Amino acid sequence: MTSLSISHLSVNLGEREIISDLSFDLRQGEIASLLGPSGCGKTTLLRAIAGLIPPTSGAIRFGTQLVGVSSVVLPPNKRGTGYVPQQGALFPHLNVGKNIAFGLDREIYSKAQISEITEEMLSLIGMSGFEKRLPSQLSGGQQTRVALARALAIKPRLVLLDEPFSALDAALRDELRSEVVGLLRKLGSTAILVTHDREEALVSSDRVILMRSGRVVQNGTPEEVYETPISPEIAASTGDVLILAAQKLATGETRYPLSLLGAAVKGSDTGYVVIRPEEIQVSKSDREGIAGSLVHIDYYGHDAMLSVNIADSITPIKVRVIGPAQFELGQKVYLKHLGPIRYFARG
Amino acid sequence: MKVQTLVSKYGLRAVVALALLLISQPLIYLFIRASEKSASEIADLLLRSKTVEVLALTLVLLLIVVLINIFLGTAIAAGLHYVKIPYPRLLLVSTVLPLAIPSYVFTYTWKALIPSLQGLWAAVFILSLSTLPYMILAVTISFQRIDAGVIEVARSLGLSKISVFFRVILPQVRRSISAGALLSGLYVLSDFGAVSLLNVETLTVSIQNLFKSSYDRSAASVIGLLLFFVAAIFVSFESVLKGREFESRGAEGFQTRIRRVANPTLSIVTLSVIALYGVLAVFTPFYVLLSRYFQNPGAVAISDLTSAALSTISVAGLGAFFAFLISLPLAFLVSQGASAFSAISGKVILAAHSLPGVVVGLALVSFGSRLGPLYQSIFLLAFAYAVLFLAKSVASTSDSLALVSPQLREVAATLGKSKSRIALEVVFPIALPNLALGVLLVFLTAMKELPATLMLRPTGMETLATEIWSFAAISRFNDAAPYALLLVILAAIPTFILTIPRTAKSEFEQKVRYL
Repeated sequence: MTSLSISHLSVNLGEREIISDLSFDLRQGEIASLLGPSGCGKTTLLRAIAGLIPPTSGAIRFGTQLVGVSSVVLPPNKRGTGYVPQQGALFPHLNVGKNIAFGLDREIYSKAQISEITEEMLSLIGMSGFEKRLPSQLSGGQQTRVALARALAIKPRLVLLDEPFSALDAALRDELRSEVVGLLRKLGSTAILVTHDREEALVSSDRVILMRSGRVVQNGTPEEVYETPISPEIAASTGDVLILAAQKLATGETRYPLSLLGAAVKGSDTGYVVIRPEEIQVSKSDREGIAGSLVHIDYYGHDAMLSVNIADSITPIKVRVIGPAQFELGQKVYLKHLGPIRYFARG
Repeated sequence: MKVQTLVSKYGLRAVVALALLLISQPLIYLFIRASEKSASEIADLLLRSKTVEVLALTLVLLLIVVLINIFLGTAIAAGLHYVKIPYPRLLLVSTVLPLAIPSYVFTYTWKALIPSLQGLWAAVFILSLSTLPYMILAVTISFQRIDAGVIEVARSLGLSKISVFFRVILPQVRRSISAGALLSGLYVLSDFGAVSLLNVETLTVSIQNLFKSSYDRSAASVIGLLLFFVAAIFVSFESVLKGREFESRGAEGFQTRIRRVANPTLSIVTLSVIALYGVLAVFTPFYVLLSRYFQNPGAVAISDLTSAALSTISVAGLGAFFAFLISLPLAFLVSQGASAFSAISGKVILAAHSLPGVVVGLALVSFGSRLGPLYQSIFLLAFAYAVLFLAKSVASTSDSLALVSPQLREVAATLGKSKSRIALEVVFPIALPNLALGVLLVFLTAMKELPATLMLRPTGMETLATEIWSFAAISRFNDAAPYALLLVILAAIPTFILTIPRTAKSEFEQKVRYL
């Protein structure tokens, strides 16, 4: 069942068109990441979905209900979206319990129901007993959790998360992210997570929507966008890449610096091959590979990135190896591309 | 478009337009009154030697005091911030304390010591004492905002301490110097008490004389408009001079502490200048007030004192409340960001800001008879206060509202709250402490107001300010002392509020705009 449907949406802020002719659908219970560089319109899109800014043209539907076209806009307070902005934005004058209960209408819920829901939310985020604390007495991670609980308390049709983890330090970020995603999955919420962190997008969602200057450039599962990017540029936005000059032969084979056919003949290269650093095997002795010399090692602990100079490429070849460093600078090594060969014609 | 959308879109503007119309009343009255005279009469009045003389004297006084402020005020602020001195915080408070003393109290205490004190230079002396704190505060706060890291970088690039001051620090505080000059300049232009007691006929004194002696209100209105134009030109001149605003924000959460210059000669010079200013502007007035009071503690009946204090509190309180009510829609507009409409509102507020008390008093008094029961009531005087202190009130109200981040309002909207519920449940509860502080500051400022109070108070009502004034004018210094002591003590409250160290420095910075 379709939970959110956006068709041909454009949003202008002042004179500038921030979102242009953008469309995508989300199924019930799906978690999508909006991934793109800052200024690409991710936050604007999220705010348009929440009803905080009106669309210029196009339509936003929640299920079958039309909530936003340029002439009629359902105001944000009638949409039932759970909005979690950057850094939480907790109400500083209300304690944790009152923050969570803020969106629960007293004409609909009884006092007992409100405190029951509040309790439930507190235990859901693992913060039972924090009800009377003020936001200023919470850590950054706790504030994000409360902001999420406040959004979930109204049983939203759609949860909108705008870079909720960006203010947290790396270790806490990973932990809280998997906690939050687990929670959303448990509740079966449909959610959109805005992020500029490629790993965050891949690890937390069912669907990654890649945005560039107000448009969707690719929309697919994390595996799809990582494995089969539609352009070298998109490939670079989801992970480390090597982009090498290449040539497609009449036989259907591709020549590029790491191919067994040898590099593209100078001047005849008509495109690029995009390779992930982990798709190359490196060895000290395998003579079948392409020989090169190790010129640089970036050591990350859990893995390392080697830079290898080979005869056919001006740019050094980057290779990812797992585990402790077993290589030395200046060493002769052999490279073998395990595939796949992603060929993109020039232009 | 739906009716509801229309109301929410244009409702605020309608209320703002109403508020603007209300505060421009004095100016409109003044124009109407002045236009009762023919063009040739107006020309005669403006060009006669007496007017030219008064105008010239006003401008000379303005120029000298502003120049003294720019040089001495900046120097004192620099000393307080960059030179190694004991108890810098305490010394800052002591240089700012004279803000609590109205110019007419300064004049009266000094006249009690030196009865022959009068003339231009006496006015320069008294008005410099009164206005220096504005400059010192404005510039000091600007110094505090400069990232000390920038200074260290400049030093590492080979600049001497002196060139650092002139090439790195001064350009960044130019705007504040200009703002300080604006505050002190407007103070000089609108001052009535000091110049009048010192027999210096500036435009304010001229207006009051014309108004009192001849009851020729059209003539007084013409001179009133002249004064308004001088003030308006001065204000627009300042907005040209101040130049660009620099966003000199250092890294969040980390600020290098400034290292003060430890030069004994410089420290001694700084301390002597501050001590001299303290003796002239704090010690002397308090010494005179206290000694005069204890010479004859029973000079004033307690009942007179309390009745004056009560009328002061009630009329100033009402004025602060009116100012708050009028400033609320304006502040909402300001908090919604820049638009052509908010730019116009800004201009009107600035115009109201440059209206001297004597001009507002004159305008309202000349039209008083048409105002029916309002005339001769404390409401008219309270309205005058509201107009006079509207700029302060708008500044404090809009800053308080700006403290409520738009994100909070958005979150509240997504959680199902309507605009009015958001205002009630989110914006006001968060802004309340600062809103209240803003009202308090306007209230305490309004208590010191003299010229409009003299013209507009209901017959028979005396405030602390008018009592001080009438006793000082006839040299009955002992009788004025208890009133003055009470007023100065009450007025010192905001000064202390402004200078106590706050947890958030930005809060402190903002408050200076309410002075």
